[in-house]
Amino acid sequence: MKRLQTCLWPILLLPMLAFGGHRMDMDSMVMNENPMTLPEGCQKIAGDQKITVHAGRKHAKKFPGVVFAYDQQSWDVDPCTRLTVHFVNDDDIRHQFMVHGLPEKTYPEGMFTIEVSGPGEETASFILPPYKKTYLVHCDIAQHTEHGMKAQIKVAGGDKDLASLPGLTKPVRPDRYPTVWNTQSVIFLVLALAGGLVLVWGGRWLFKAMSD
Amino acid sequence: MNVIRFFYLLGIAISLTLAWIFFPGPRTEAGARAPSTVKWVPSLDDTEEFCQFDHPEWRKAQTIEGVEIEEDPQCKPDNPYLVASVVKGTDRVTMPTLMKTRLAMDAVVKKDDRDGDGDPDVIHIKLEVAELNGSTPDGDFFIPGYRIAPGLTPGIWVFAPKMRGMATVDAVNLDANRMLRAPSPPIRVEQGDTVYLTLENSHYLPHTIHLHGVDHPYTRADGQGNDGVPVTSEKMLMPGQKRTYEIKPRQPGTMLYHCHVQTDKHMLMGLQGMFIVEENRPNNWLQTFNIGAGKVRHRSQANRKQFDQEYDLHYQSLDKERYQPIQAYNDPRLVAKGMNRDYNITDSNENFFLLNGEAFPYTLRDSLVVVEPEQRIRLRVANGHPHTLGLHFHGHKTTAISADGVPLDAPVTRDVHGLAPAQRLDLVLDTHDDGLHSFGEGAWLMHDHAEKSVTSDGLGPGGDIGLVVYRKYLDQNGFPKLQGMDPVPFFNRWFYQKQVPVWARSEEWAIFADAAPLPPNTIRVIISGVFLGLALGLLVALWRHWRKGQ
Ligand SMILES: [Cu+2]
Ligand SMILES: [Cu+2]
Repeated sequence: MKRLQTCLWPILLLPMLAFGGHRMDMDSMVMNENPMTLPEGCQKIAGDQKITVHAGRKHAKKFPGVVFAYDQQSWDVDPCTRLTVHFVNDDDIRHQFMVHGLPEKTYPEGMFTIEVSGPGEETASFILPPYKKTYLVHCDIAQHTEHGMKAQIKVAGGDKDLASLPGLTKPVRPDRYPTVWNTQSVIFLVLALAGGLVLVWGGRWLFKAMSD
Repeated sequence: MNVIRFFYLLGIAISLTLAWIFFPGPRTEAGARAPSTVKWVPSLDDTEEFCQFDHPEWRKAQTIEGVEIEEDPQCKPDNPYLVASVVKGTDRVTMPTLMKTRLAMDAVVKKDDRDGDGDPDVIHIKLEVAELNGSTPDGDFFIPGYRIAPGLTPGIWVFAPKMRGMATVDAVNLDANRMLRAPSPPIRVEQGDTVYLTLENSHYLPHTIHLHGVDHPYTRADGQGNDGVPVTSEKMLMPGQKRTYEIKPRQPGTMLYHCHVQTDKHMLMGLQGMFIVEENRPNNWLQTFNIGAGKVRHRSQANRKQFDQEYDLHYQSLDKERYQPIQAYNDPRLVAKGMNRDYNITDSNENFFLLNGEAFPYTLRDSLVVVEPEQRIRLRVANGHPHTLGLHFHGHKTTAISADGVPLDAPVTRDVHGLAPAQRLDLVLDTHDDGLHSFGEGAWLMHDHAEKSVTSDGLGPGGDIGLVVYRKYLDQNGFPKLQGMDPVPFFNRWFYQKQVPVWARSEEWAIFADAAPLPPNTIRVIISGVFLGLALGLLVALWRHWRKGQ
């Protein structure tokens, strides 16, 4: 009976999802909201977790060279958890909380999205799959991800860390800044130079010792 | 002892010099017979179809939610659902229509028929700022991607209608979605409307909007600046902030809007668009945005009375050195330094020339002026180039009826119209075959006669070449019937990278294709090799001599 129930749930919910998964008004938009349907491999909702995510210019100020950011760059979530995201936009422009890589059977295009159109907030939930995996979270407004609005959700510890998370991980293609020599680098150069000389004399001594 | 060493050294020097002199150069003389021709066959993978378009049904005339939309038979017409959405207002169209666009629900909000003439008079318009082909810390590619021609992805900034959802096509295709493109879209409002134009600065650098030539008070009702100039009128609008400009234009005409921050960079990076004030008429529901400029599919009442069609033609250019920082760096401090201090417009030249945001041959897909005989067509032209535009039409002499939004006392009929930078002209294209206004039907060229503009980074044909095409010269895909050279190479991604010959695609033209390279001259290889060997031998001898001497 219990198994039958688990099988029936998605079928019963399908028509509801088609309409209920998306909502939109002047202030916000939610896509692929899913508080009920279990992703493949989950027997039941393992638990509920709620996070509040702030997005905006001011959360980037602690990272030099970053313009837009979330207030946190990484979240740990247990498998099959229903994650409720309370997304707060602290700017006067649009921002998104967009998750990628979810199973496409349950989440069209593998995505879950909350978009807040300006200063304001929106809440929506979705259920994470059972596997050990790291999911990309970002804002897909032109050049927002590239300027800091990037984070990750790690289920069961995750399978990796994503690149270019502000303050956490190195970019794949880091910027190159002007070089300036300081005292330390000059000292290192002089020491290395002396080391090189020592190597030559040592080599000569060794050569002589061997040929004698 | 030292003398011997000196001669060794002299010998080495002479041998090296001779080896260098005889070493084969980058070019080799042919013998009695010149080398054969390299045959170039464009690979299918690297060549686009002339017309790739997933919605041919968008071309026909249709009525969506009561909004009449004119036919646009060319390859890539504007999205009719988007036209309907911006005519009615994005808050008033039904959800299924709005969902066929990427517009935000609050992008265009129309209210209050104050004069009771059947159309709304209070208009709220929201713009964002988007970077196209910018760099990313996540790899060696540009995002969101936008090609102005096959293989060409210059960095561009645009004002864009407020959107919803992803900037890219989807999670896999990282090209910009259809709505995110150059030029910044022409905006249409009605004379006497109260317009609230809100800029939501979604970009990582500061911007403003200056309403060039549009009747606007110097300050808003609340005393804040309204002129968009960061020195005199207001502070720059920082990333993440918004500002609303308030206008109630009393005069109709073709005007501009552009960013006034560091105009030699920002405006010329693409933050410039046409701003058209239409005459006040009853039931005048206007197409607030004309994405990608070109044909206006829902025209104003006044225009429908006087003309058979209307087109917006926006000319602009791009400079490789100007946009280089946004493709080299992510850090806004490096971008700001690269643009504001390392780039120097007085030392630089424009490289790419765009008509309605694209260069030839893409202009053949969605910037055609498609005409029938015996029509009168209004062309609104804006010169966004930093040079004078000499707009020339083949087969026609068009008549300028208004300049910078002011009707001309004496209309001027010419085949080259000069437009100073930032100038606008309203031209009438008359297709009556009278030997003056039109020479008859055809697929006639239309271009800036400053010849650099018909190239893409110096390679032609490219740049802002467009066409006035008579209907019978259009095939069923909306692509012009061309009787000249094979256009396949223009759609190959290596053509504008200058990797393949411009003339190569026929047996006859093989005479102008690339000649096969030649191997170096054998005698030179041998002589040079011998002297190199000699130098090497002398070096060894010298070393031995030096060791013995110790
Ligand atoms: Cu954002
Ligand atoms: Cu600007």
